[in-house]
Amino acid sequence: MTKLSTTDLLCRFSGLVAVNKVSFAMDEGEILGIIGPNGAGKTTFINLVSGIIMPTAGRIEYKGRDITYLPAHERARMGIARTYQLIHPLENLSLVENVMVGAIFAQGQGLKTARRTAEELCEELGLSDVDRDTARLSILETKKMEIARALANDPEVLFLDEVMAGLNADETHDLIATIRRIAVERRLAVGVVEHVMGVIRELTHRVIVLEAGELIAEGPYDEVSRNPRVIEAYLGGAA
Amino acid sequence: MAAKQNGNKGKHMALKRRTAILAALAAAATVLILLWKPTVINNGLQQAGLYAAIAIPMGLVLGIVHIVNLAHGEFMMVAAYATYFACKALGMDPLFAVLPAAAVTALLGWVVFRLTIQRALKAPELNQLILTFGIAIALTQVVNILFTSQTYKIPLEYVSASIDIGENTFPVWSYVFVATAILYAVGLRLFLTRTTAGKAAVAVGQNPRGAAIVGIDVNRSYGLVFALALALVGAMGALFLTKSAIFPQVGSPYTMKSFCLVAMAGIGNIPGILGASVLLGLSEQLLRAFRETRAWADIVFFVLIIAVILGRSVSWRRKK
Amino acid sequence: MNRNIARAVAAVVAAVAVALPAFAGAYPLQVARNVMMYMALAITWDMLLRSGQISFGIAGLFGLGAYAAILGVVRGGMPVWLSIPFAAVVAAAAAFLLGFLILRLRAMYFSIVTLALAEMFRIVIHNLHDFTGGPEGIVMPAGVIFGGNAAALYWLTLAGLAVALAASWWFEKSRIRFALTAIGNNEISASSSGVNIFRWLLVAFTVTSGIQGLLGGIYVQSYGFATPDGVFSADFTLLPLAMALLGGMHGTVGPVLGAVLLGLVSEWLKLKIPYGHLIVYGIIIIIVILFMPAGILGLARKMSRGAEGGKS
Ligand SMILES: Nc1ncnc2c1ncn2[C@@H]1O[C@H](COP(=O)(O)OP(=O)(O)OP(=O)(O)O)[C@@H](O)[C@H]1O
Ligand SMILES: [Mg+2]
Repeated sequence: MTKLSTTDLLCRFSGLVAVNKVSFAMDEGEILGIIGPNGAGKTTFINLVSGIIMPTAGRIEYKGRDITYLPAHERARMGIARTYQLIHPLENLSLVENVMVGAIFAQGQGLKTARRTAEELCEELGLSDVDRDTARLSILETKKMEIARALANDPEVLFLDEVMAGLNADETHDLIATIRRIAVERRLAVGVVEHVMGVIRELTHRVIVLEAGELIAEGPYDEVSRNPRVIEAYLGGAA
Repeated sequence: MAAKQNGNKGKHMALKRRTAILAALAAAATVLILLWKPTVINNGLQQAGLYAAIAIPMGLVLGIVHIVNLAHGEFMMVAAYATYFACKALGMDPLFAVLPAAAVTALLGWVVFRLTIQRALKAPELNQLILTFGIAIALTQVVNILFTSQTYKIPLEYVSASIDIGENTFPVWSYVFVATAILYAVGLRLFLTRTTAGKAAVAVGQNPRGAAIVGIDVNRSYGLVFALALALVGAMGALFLTKSAIFPQVGSPYTMKSFCLVAMAGIGNIPGILGASVLLGLSEQLLRAFRETRAWADIVFFVLIIAVILGRSVSWRRKK
Repeated sequence: MNRNIARAVAAVVAAVAVALPAFAGAYPLQVARNVMMYMALAITWDMLLRSGQISFGIAGLFGLGAYAAILGVVRGGMPVWLSIPFAAVVAAAAAFLLGFLILRLRAMYFSIVTLALAEMFRIVIHNLHDFTGGPEGIVMPAGVIFGGNAAALYWLTLAGLAVALAASWWFEKSRIRFALTAIGNNEISASSSGVNIFRWLLVAFTVTSGIQGLLGGIYVQSYGFATPDGVFSADFTLLPLAMALLGGMHGTVGPVLGAVLLGLVSEWLKLKIPYGHLIVYGIIIIIVILFMPAGILGLARKMSRGAEGGKS
């Protein structure tokens, strides 16, 4: 069943077209890779579907409903969640309180219930000592907290923007397993942006490739990685 | 990289468009009023010159150091006081004090920058705002302690110079402010585009980290720009004294009005400040021209600032 | 354990505060009133600050409340006691409506526009001679509330402070804390967590402005007259701001601490240097921002953490 789809989605920043007529669809339970060279428009694409920026043209549908111009907080309440490439834990709030925010505002829970939800999420992700100051978290824990914060929205669609960046091999494996487990248990549709192709191969069912804002290829990773256009996009980006 | 340049270009065009619109509006209003109330034009332009000459240095600081200096008008006030007492002691005309006042204020600005603002450059923007607010209070109160709230004025004959045309009398002295404003705008443009120090300052303003990498001393550039801006404001302090009485709070409205004008023009757009000043000066003088509306002239500025800032922010949001 | 001690201390302080008129003379009571007034304003300023918005408009809403109260009685024939809540309602309503415009602004734009609004209110009151009494101000024909009884006036201000404290406590204990903290940290990620940013800013702005208006009402009825330059005085913006900064922002305790310290110092300075005693505020703002941006509380916390670290 299609959860989220876009049609000819276009985003222009004074002259620069960051996302150019992208059409895609994401199904329940699917883990979709979103790849492309630096500046391809991956983050912008996530910003568009999560409502952080409004598109110049095109259409976004969520569970059959047009959400193209819906504000971000309403999308969060409907079940779209995301993490950020640059993680910023909320200062003055403890680990569990950071996670509570989504439960309170996206799910509308009272403080007590929200706290229980957040504690459960922390446990699910293997975060202990939940009353800690966020300054004392390791990198892996910070990433997990970021995911827990997104899950606190009780989402049906989740976007992860480069969550693996900065992790070593063991930690990356740990996180891949965690994400897969969560996706299955919650029947989530997950969109994963990642530069490390090993992660994409291991984690995703299918990928879409963006280059200069355009969707240039789509399909299982092994197939897409042999696509000459994709290879050229990456080489061109590297050169 | 390409994206960034593109963005800048877009911004630049938007700035130009805004300046053009402001200029066109001002011109249209000017012609209409000129036909109907010629004194309003005369007073309005002079007023505009005063506003612009004070606002341009603030625009310079905001554009390059990225600091809203809430003590801006207060520095002018201090310069005016210094000029007053120097002139009293030496029996000289404030006009001769313009350059010394500029030098003294620049030095003061440099010291204040080094001691305070420079330390807060990396702090959140709001800390800087509060810091300069504190500096404004400190300056006002120091003057208040030293000279009480009494007003001081130097009576000068030439400030009442005027020209009679038909049945109207047009005072002309304040055109010195207009000349100063234009001089500032042109001079700054030349400084920022032609001199090494100016080019370095522009580079620092656009990208401090990049400028540091290519070996520009960022803090020195900031300090220089700040001191330069204060030199310009200091000179205005001496000129201001020719025309007006001074008291400790005399500078504070100019801080706000300057910020309003800079915001109207768009940060980094110095010629735009001239246009915005004309709009403000003319509207104020228009209201002053009628007894019923005279008292409301001071409010024009608030209406303008709110309208312009809001209008701008709405269009920003749409773009985002 | 710690919490119990804190509660006990709070209870003792509250009891002393309520009973103060029993053993203090007129002058200490007057000083206490001033301190409490600024303390309450400092708390409300801090409450909005928790969302990252710095208002320079305290004096504007305070003055608006003051005029609402006095005009409600003089022009509207309202009973004096009612004029005080009325002041709160007027200020809150004004903030609510203006909020739709100015809460779109951020950072320096928001701050400067709030500063401009305060000036604008002053000019409007100044110019509407016939209704407001113009620059000369307006006098309560019946004089000061409670016939000027020092103890009653003290309790009235104490009640205003209690409202501010209660509201601040509510902001700290309810979901508002999460909303404002999230907004203050990062609006984009807050909205991704379902926070309706505008709505919560509007709540915070309306509530804090309402309390500022209430305090204006209390102030004006305690003196029996209002002038534009008096009730819109920049002091009502400057002093609370400096107090909250000195004590430590983002909480109730900081502004309270700062207000006690600065309030007492300024009363003393007022006697020593009648002209320009405000200079301490300027200097304190500068020093605090440069050397202890988290205020006295932040400094204390850092030191206690340092001591802990040294032990382990
Ligand atoms: N708010 C904005 N204003 C102007 N240009 C922007 C904005 N956001 C992104 N861009 C530009 O849009 C393009 C796409 O950026 P985006 O961040 O989406 O790329 P990305 O694929 O996420 O890259 P990376 O892999 O480096 O994270 C870039 O050229 C970027 O400079
Ligand atoms: Mg990205």
